[in-house]
Amino acid sequence: MHDPTAMSAYLDTRVSLYAGRLLPDEALEELIELPDEAVAEKLIGRGLPQLAMGYDRTDGVQDSSSLEQRIIVQVLDETRVLIRPLSGNARRFLTFWTARFEMSNVKTLLRSKMTGERPAAILARLIPMGTFGRLDNEDLAHAEDVGELLRRLEAGPYAAIVRRARRAFEQSHNPFSLDAALDRGYYEGLVQHAQPLEETVGEPFRSLMANLIDRINLVWLLRYRFNYRLPPAQVYYLLVASRYSLPSARLRELAALDSPAAVLGALHAAWQARLSGVKDIPAVFAYMEHAAAEQALRVLRSRAPEIARAFAYLILRERDLRAVRAVLRGRHLGLADDDIRLALRRGPAELS
Amino acid sequence: MLRAEPLLRIQLVMLASEAQDAALTLARFGLFNPAPCRVEALAESPAVAYREVWLEAEARLSKLLDACGDTGPLDLPDAAEAPSLADLQEVNHWLKDVWIACSDCHENEAQIEEVRSHLGALEDTLAKLEGLNVDLAHLLRPDSLLAVNIGSLPAAELKRVTEALAMTGHLVSRFDQAGDQVFAVIAGARARHDEVRGLLAQAGWRELPVPDELRAHPQAARAWLEAERARMDVQSGAACQVRDGLREQFGPRLHEARMRLALARPLAEAAQAGISGRGGLAALSGWIPRRQLNELRATLDARLHRRYWLDQREPAADDLAEVPSLMRYPGWLKPYVPLVKSYGVPRYGELDPALPFAITYLLLFGAMFGDIGHGATILLLSLAFARRLGRAVWIGTAAGAVSMLFGLFYGSIFGYENILPPLWLSPLHDPLRVLTIAVAFGVGFIVFTLLANVHNQWVAGRVAEALLDSSGLAGLAFYLGAVGVLASWTGVLVVAQPAAILAGLGIAGVAAFKWHETQAGLGERLLVTLIETMETAINLFSNTLSFMRVAAFSLNHVALALAVFTLAHGLDAVGHGITLVLGNIVIIVLEGGIVAIQALRLMYYEGFSRFFSGDGREFVPLRIEKA
Repeated sequence: MHDPTAMSAYLDTRVSLYAGRLLPDEALEELIELPDEAVAEKLIGRGLPQLAMGYDRTDGVQDSSSLEQRIIVQVLDETRVLIRPLSGNARRFLTFWTARFEMSNVKTLLRSKMTGERPAAILARLIPMGTFGRLDNEDLAHAEDVGELLRRLEAGPYAAIVRRARRAFEQSHNPFSLDAALDRGYYEGLVQHAQPLEETVGEPFRSLMANLIDRINLVWLLRYRFNYRLPPAQVYYLLVASRYSLPSARLRELAALDSPAAVLGALHAAWQARLSGVKDIPAVFAYMEHAAAEQALRVLRSRAPEIARAFAYLILRERDLRAVRAVLRGRHLGLADDDIRLALRRGPAELS
Repeated sequence: MLRAEPLLRIQLVMLASEAQDAALTLARFGLFNPAPCRVEALAESPAVAYREVWLEAEARLSKLLDACGDTGPLDLPDAAEAPSLADLQEVNHWLKDVWIACSDCHENEAQIEEVRSHLGALEDTLAKLEGLNVDLAHLLRPDSLLAVNIGSLPAAELKRVTEALAMTGHLVSRFDQAGDQVFAVIAGARARHDEVRGLLAQAGWRELPVPDELRAHPQAARAWLEAERARMDVQSGAACQVRDGLREQFGPRLHEARMRLALARPLAEAAQAGISGRGGLAALSGWIPRRQLNELRATLDARLHRRYWLDQREPAADDLAEVPSLMRYPGWLKPYVPLVKSYGVPRYGELDPALPFAITYLLLFGAMFGDIGHGATILLLSLAFARRLGRAVWIGTAAGAVSMLFGLFYGSIFGYENILPPLWLSPLHDPLRVLTIAVAFGVGFIVFTLLANVHNQWVAGRVAEALLDSSGLAGLAFYLGAVGVLASWTGVLVVAQPAAILAGLGIAGVAAFKWHETQAGLGERLLVTLIETMETAINLFSNTLSFMRVAAFSLNHVALALAVFTLAHGLDAVGHGITLVLGNIVIIVLEGGIVAIQALRLMYYEGFSRFFSGDGREFVPLRIEKA
């Protein structure tokens, strides 16, 4: 099955089938209200066998420590299926999209080394990447300290990202520097991987990337500038270089402003309308994520090229899974249904 | 040789304090394949900590051996005991201390190297700044309103840093590049200098310290640089001495640590499969060859002095998927085993296809590439490259010999058909007979694979599949009946009526089985049954016709030789000779390769896929590390 037309038809069909698994708000509502013994069955019915596996039907006790891992394994399983017929830039892009989870493993390894955790405990916390894994976690977990770990990472597939983080860490010995450098390095890599696809696939794909990177830049800008109180120049440096709605010149202007309200007031009219009345950074994130989900849903339901639809599906699926995680955690902690609903803070993703 | 050796599931319960010695004894025994222990009464995992410490220690040892070199051959005495958890922890701590010392030593050397390259960069910088005719002392005055930094940053960051610094009114001027590092001067108002410190740290900016000496006369600056270089040389020599000293100091004990870790490996590896226990007891489970049970008891008695309890049982029906297959092969058959294993490992109880594979593969190769000269060339080349080919030499030698044998049957030598009379038949002169023989061979081969499948399904307890599936007895009855009808139709046999009855009964059995197995609505069930039954018939016959390629390739061999002769006849004596030699090389390399692949393809697709699941588990015994 190497015929491009057949591959394209396969992926289109597969995405359409997967799209049926997305969770409308009523499904989450149902999950909040279900009795414990019915949860696993419901999760399986929604194509979430990995999550159902961690849910004990007998007494409702759930392995919350591994919930995050199970969610990511579920996402990776589906990505593996979607990636199967792809080749070239599209395949490289989706593979790099999964590297976010490996970056998260890198951060876990670094933090664990800073606190001197045991290798076995570190390994248990890492996300099992399966065939997407490019790091030798066993070897890395046995590094003696942060310095040795960084050197080993620099000899691996993420050398360019890690080198930048190491230099930043050497200068400041601040874990924030490491995290910020890793995050920025990853998303700049993602923008580079997306560029050839934006040229060939066009607007539907570009709109998804623009929503993602603009949201990240705006939220990081607000957080670094007003929560961490970093100087404007450093804030600008830590943002992701991009060519979307918030290009470099615009980010420089925004970083130089002195209050969140001023920043939100300086955004273009469409965003201002959307974010009017928003008071804190999590709310900005939630509203922008909502906007991104609406756009992803539009792309998914359109006749856009299959890679754009696949990417839109993955964005929506992850959003759903985060919501399921919130519900399951809430249930596990015995929270009231209304508190779980509040924790979801999920605007409607359905198009009117 | 045709089936995996019968195994027993054993469970060895012993004192938890002796678990490491028990595992070591089993590893020395060499025929124990660990398996997860599932005894509800023994719910603890007493060897988890042991494995964890061993993994840490092993990782450290491996790093030390990489850094300091191997400590020599490992000779584990027979009487040596495995270390206890406490011993292992002690070794692990010691290895940690040594690695930190070694790592410091390496770090020190790396820092010296970094300072050296820094001095080199400083020297270059000095040369460039001299050329710019800038008064460094004036430029870098601490009481100036202008704050100036001289240093380096990654080239990829320059654009971004320049844009960010512009937001604070700072200027960046690049003056050199070495590798991926850019050297630059950053200047801005001293009052706003604090704003850029975090940014520079984040961007990996490395300040080039310009010492007071460098701010003076250029000659004085150069003298300072040379003095610094000499100081680094002295430090480097001292670092080497420290490293060599470490190797001498720790070498013998490192070897001892390596031995202790090798002795601890069996329990650590067995713990991966799962060792259970409770209180002061531990239990190891796994598989051993049935005929080695008494030998194992004697070995355990000698080592554990009857302080153990050994339970054994035959594999249960629901165990079969997990039972490993222990195959023993005679030396001459071993070269063919990787070819079988590249398809899969036989399941326990399943027929091991290695022997039929070796025989049939050689027969097919010889039949398709029958030529005394070409066969002899393959045989001699295999022997000539025996060292490089390793065990595969025997495949090459046997293939060459069989090719020679069929060359005798066909009367073919280097493509010449008129030197030797054929002992059996000449493919070129009797192509129909060759085709008939190839198809007859195919019928025999497929009957064998169907019988093998019946055996395998029966052994696995799938009686219905063995009797009624398309590759079971019903499929075989249909196939034999259909072959009988066709043979009667062509006049070879006179069994048309009984053969037709047999075929009808067979296909009815297959259809009934498919109907029973399909869980769907009436229409879909009917459709699936019909299609799958038809597919059974089509597959069996298309697979049989696939064997016509054996005849086709034997004809192809002669045709290629004829083409070479035709080309050679048009040339003079020298050209004739060269064309014959080159033509024969092409035939051996090209056709020989194709035939080798085709024979493998026939074995895999027409043979193995019909009866060989290949999803078995290989018997992987616990072993101790050898030198």
